[in-house]
Amino acid sequence: MTSDIRSALNRRSILKTAALAGVAQITSPFVITARAADEVKIGFDNPITGVYAALGKNELIGAQLALEQINGKGGILGRKAELLVEDSTSGDAGTAVQKARKLIDRDQVNFLVGNINSALAAAMAGVSYEKGVFHMVPGGHTDPVTGTNCHWNVFRICNTTQMEANAVAGSLIKNAGKKWYYLTPDYAFGHTLQAGLEKAAAKLGGTKLGGDLTPLGTTDFSSYLIKAQSANPDVIIFLQAGDDAVNALKQAVQFGLDKRFHLAGAQQELEVLIGLPPEARTGTWVFEWYWKQPNVPHVEQFVADVRKRSGGHVPTARTWFGFAAIHACALAAEQAKSLEAVKMAKAMQGFKLPPEVALMPDSPFFRESQNQLIPNLFVGNAQAKGSDPEDLFNVTEVAKGIDAAGTLEDTGCKMTWPA
Amino acid sequence: MRGDDLQKRAATAIVWLLLIGAPYWLPAIGGYTELGTRVVVLGLAAMSLNFLLGYTGVLSFGHAAYFGLGAYGAGMTLRYLVPSTGLSVIIGTLVGTIAAAIIGPMIIRLRGVYFAMVTIAFGQTFYFIAFRWNTVTGGDDGLIGWTRQPLNLGFATIDILKSSVAFYYFVLVLFAVAVGIMAWLLRSPFGRTLLAIRENERRARFLGIPVDQHIWISWVISCCFVSLAGALYALLNNFVDPRTLYWSQSGDFVIMAVLGGMRSFWGPLLGAAIFVVLQDYLSSQTQNWMSFVGLFFVLVVLFFPRGVLGIIRRRATA
Repeated sequence: MTSDIRSALNRRSILKTAALAGVAQITSPFVITARAADEVKIGFDNPITGVYAALGKNELIGAQLALEQINGKGGILGRKAELLVEDSTSGDAGTAVQKARKLIDRDQVNFLVGNINSALAAAMAGVSYEKGVFHMVPGGHTDPVTGTNCHWNVFRICNTTQMEANAVAGSLIKNAGKKWYYLTPDYAFGHTLQAGLEKAAAKLGGTKLGGDLTPLGTTDFSSYLIKAQSANPDVIIFLQAGDDAVNALKQAVQFGLDKRFHLAGAQQELEVLIGLPPEARTGTWVFEWYWKQPNVPHVEQFVADVRKRSGGHVPTARTWFGFAAIHACALAAEQAKSLEAVKMAKAMQGFKLPPEVALMPDSPFFRESQNQLIPNLFVGNAQAKGSDPEDLFNVTEVAKGIDAAGTLEDTGCKMTWPA
Repeated sequence: MRGDDLQKRAATAIVWLLLIGAPYWLPAIGGYTELGTRVVVLGLAAMSLNFLLGYTGVLSFGHAAYFGLGAYGAGMTLRYLVPSTGLSVIIGTLVGTIAAAIIGPMIIRLRGVYFAMVTIAFGQTFYFIAFRWNTVTGGDDGLIGWTRQPLNLGFATIDILKSSVAFYYFVLVLFAVAVGIMAWLLRSPFGRTLLAIRENERRARFLGIPVDQHIWISWVISCCFVSLAGALYALLNNFVDPRTLYWSQSGDFVIMAVLGGMRSFWGPLLGAAIFVVLQDYLSSQTQNWMSFVGLFFVLVVLFFPRGVLGIIRRRATA
């Protein structure tokens, strides 16, 4: 009897010790992660898991390359710069907000960077504005971030959805036809991109035959595709991004829709084209940055640098977003000679990116009183294969950003500065 | 018997001391105040769920619905009606409670897995309404463009917006009230009846106890406090999105309750603390953080079916 109890206790205490040891493994670094104070901290709150994982990883590669270059030249204002990376998830705005607060409250970051998902970017902008932290959005496109909901502290590298729509609408109508059917992701990015396209198309005589909203993370698009083909449009417009775009286009080609309609859209990305089977790489699209720009200085060097850290892959628009975002943060501090958010934001009004960061012609700049970068856009066609395994896009036209951007009044941005 | 009672009181005192001191000791070990607030808010939600799960023996898998309704109720009050934090909490709690009171009679006759399934179904209905009704709820983007407001007490104003410590204590006071009511209810004859239903429903019925009615009341009380937690959660983030209504959020509450120990009063709070800290810490370290949280949960369920607090308690009585 007694020996029974003892052996039971022994087994229990072994289990308990094991569990405690396990917990200790997890909790002890929690104590250590309170981070050093003398470094300039950049909080990077971006998707690393989920639908936008591939895009997020490329933004991170670009950001890390920029950080290395900055620290190689003496850091930010003579202090070493540090990147604190948090996974915001791809679609959970609550987590992105929580992470933004963690970076601002606990880690006291000087800059907040993120997010790819437009909805998450907008939610994070709410936090950074409330806290007065300099915020750089690398790749969330929805208009209000630098439009109706613009804030003095929120800057953006990638284009607005309206700019993408304006840049591509003409080519779409010319190459594909006027009757459009939309498949649109059901959140901020999709809503504004479709609205932008409808507006741009209407000016050129394009019409909307119908459309469907697909939830983010949809894997089976068959019911939407059947509906789209029964509407008999000239073009089926795919506005999905990331893995959603891969799934939607792959299924459209499996259904044979590419033989009967033009499959096209607005924003397209190299990550998506790489993920597609060759026969699904079709249609007219707009890229926001492309790695083949033969006569533009510094681009070749950038491609070589990125290949070294990405296992031989070329940079995509996302890599450039991450790269430019981190450089822009550092430039803001250097320009303002300060890490105060208001001074840095003031210093960036109308600021032109230097060529080694811009990596495209016509020096992109942050438009005054909107904080939106105005870069060029690369309109063209997807191709099954090119000179390089990752040369999957044929640029036919480089649209000037300022023509696509519309006027400041059009954006609806009215900024108020803190007193 | 008296020693046992003393031990219980000492444990309760320690819990309160830890909670009251949190803004001071948390930063010292690498945490931050808002992490503490999250633990208290989600702990309240898990404890409310446990009122139903641990003390009445009914498993709801749809508590996120009322958590989310509380959150949207509070957020939309601030966004569309009046900029008053107090009112937003009251309206948020009311919205969730009323919804639960209406849905209650439709589901209280069901037991076990059927009850859980139907609660999920109702929860998902609210989720899709929030997801689709873009113009009012903001859809998948969430409800933005509002913040909690400083608390006006008449004689003084407490700035719970700018000061996260003040907000923590605001949450803690409401938490104390809610937890106090639940503890009081559980010690009352009503609470004892709930235990009787949990232990043997058929016998309780033979004794003439109106079982369905009791389950309905327990369900409404549980949902009332989970809505309060939801309203506080919205105020904490200054943001609401449909995921607060999603069934996986309900799953998280169940995990917290089971992890901490669903037969004990404070267990779910401990479970919430472990869950929130694990999530907060691991997700900064590895992109595979969800598998670690899952692994931890599986280990606890396999080896310590009474939860983490169950281990501690067993050790104390051994």
